[in-house]
Amino acid sequence: MRNLATPAALILAALAYFVPALSGGAPVIYAACTTIAILAVMSYGADLILSYLGEVSLGHTIFWAAGGYAGSMLAVNAGWNGWQTAAAAVAVSIVLAGVLGLVTLRTREFVFSLVTYAAAVVAMEVAFNWSFLGGSDGIVGVPPLQLTLFGVGITGSSNAELWPVAWGLLMLTLLFIHRFRRSRLGTSALMVQMNPDLAQALGVDARAVRFLVFVASAPISALAGWLYGYQRAYVGPDMFESYFLVLMLTAIVIVGRRLLLGPLIGTALIIVQQTFFSIGGDGDKIVLGAVLAAILLLFPKGMIGVWEAVTVRLRSSRQ
Amino acid sequence: MNIAQQIINGLVLGSGYALIAIGWTVLLGAARLVNFAHGQLYMLGAFVAWAVMQKLGVSYFVAVPVAVLVLGLLGILLQGMMLRLVMQQNLTSLMIVTLGFGYVFQGGAARIFGGDPEPFVSPIQSANIRFGEIWFTWQDVLTLVGTLLLFAVLWLVMNRTRTGALVRSVAEDPKLAQLFGINASLVYIGVFVFECAAVALGAGLVAPRSPILTSMGFDEVILTFVVVVLGGIGSVGGSLLAGFGLGMFTALFGALVSPAYTTAAAFALLLAVLVMRPRGLGAR
Repeated sequence: MRNLATPAALILAALAYFVPALSGGAPVIYAACTTIAILAVMSYGADLILSYLGEVSLGHTIFWAAGGYAGSMLAVNAGWNGWQTAAAAVAVSIVLAGVLGLVTLRTREFVFSLVTYAAAVVAMEVAFNWSFLGGSDGIVGVPPLQLTLFGVGITGSSNAELWPVAWGLLMLTLLFIHRFRRSRLGTSALMVQMNPDLAQALGVDARAVRFLVFVASAPISALAGWLYGYQRAYVGPDMFESYFLVLMLTAIVIVGRRLLLGPLIGTALIIVQQTFFSIGGDGDKIVLGAVLAAILLLFPKGMIGVWEAVTVRLRSSRQ
Repeated sequence: MNIAQQIINGLVLGSGYALIAIGWTVLLGAARLVNFAHGQLYMLGAFVAWAVMQKLGVSYFVAVPVAVLVLGLLGILLQGMMLRLVMQQNLTSLMIVTLGFGYVFQGGAARIFGGDPEPFVSPIQSANIRFGEIWFTWQDVLTLVGTLLLFAVLWLVMNRTRTGALVRSVAEDPKLAQLFGINASLVYIGVFVFECAAVALGAGLVAPRSPILTSMGFDEVILTFVVVVLGGIGSVGGSLLAGFGLGMFTALFGALVSPAYTTAAAFALLLAVLVMRPRGLGAR
């Protein structure tokens, strides 16, 4: 089994690359697929906290927006290329996460959630009022993404051209999450969440683990925001809107926590509904919020919990 | 700038903060439940009162109690849905659920009431009282008196009646309380209904200060959170003091430094407190 896992993952990843082309290759398909990839990467940042630390971070829109602002501002004002702006997005998000992580180091549960939430609201207020960040207008006229990879130049002036970058970012994120789950930090984080006493007895420094996971999660959401700025050719205070927050959380819980592909499938379901089966902006809000609440109220383990319940019942009825 | 005027403003602002926050204080103290839909409930309270005034043509003084009643009923519905998670004390999931509810309210309200700012007018908002350079409105007086009355009644109920003893015993240890025959789910529902009704009353008294929008409510959550943490989780008297303190701080900061960054400043204050006392000022 183990020997087959890596080739199977590679085949799946390659297939994923051709999803938009196989679905007809219309611009709306490329737009939807690119958006799914970007928002899924954004969700994986929050997933690291919710699934492995067991805390609810409501502040990941800060890192998402910070990545977007840092990348877009440097592309517009300094003419930096894609690699440079991506590095800046990562650096800015790590600094912000370091500060927020230190401040919230001793907070738990709802206090942690509230502080991160409050930080996001305040960050939005700052972005909205500070002319350095473009104020309420944001940063407009972001030039197309320019990247050189192995001597090949990539220009992302349309969603079809951005798709390879979005796909690549998504695959790198999945690889990172996969490695994280097996890393010392990932297993320590789970132990701190599931059995803090055992973790302490084994000499795991819970605060260090929480801080490191928090800081590690920020660049993931930031890189998603970085690409989102190029996709829309614009960043603004709307990146702090609760839409992104609710989307992250819904994407994580809808399929089930601690599943590698969970947030990706969740994001895909949400964006497909909003792109192809939309019932208006406010209607979509009702759908998204109601799905989030209903999943947790009715199937706290997510859709995977429904599946498990069904298979258990089938198995027992067969006996 | 007139210091006396800013102190009056601070008192008025502070009583509003305390009033909006009190439901949360009780909810957090008794059920350890954080309601992220709090800001949207505030918005709903204001819009229900506004719609009742518009559609039924009744006066402001009838519309606000109607809104309190409607939100109280909504509270029964919401807590009924969440009861299983509350009894399991699955706090992480509950937080996310209330966030989902808030988002549904926001989308639903925008659908029903439209996306434009609406004037929610109290008839005594324009009735001024002047003492030389200092002035305030009768609405300010109503907010201040209403807040003090509600806090006094709440304090009496919590500390001097059997109902209050029930709530406090469930807050202390829900399992033990149930062993003694206390119906914890009923207490949880009651506390949640109080939260919804109290925030509706807060919206009825405070929201007429400016036009109301279905997208409002975020600042209210932050300010509520600051009040709850500064005052000590679950402490009725503490949150009244914290509300007034925060009101003074906001009024003076807005007048002396910058009105645009008052929420940010309140939050910075909160962070400073949390770094020193992660469980809040009131925690023992």
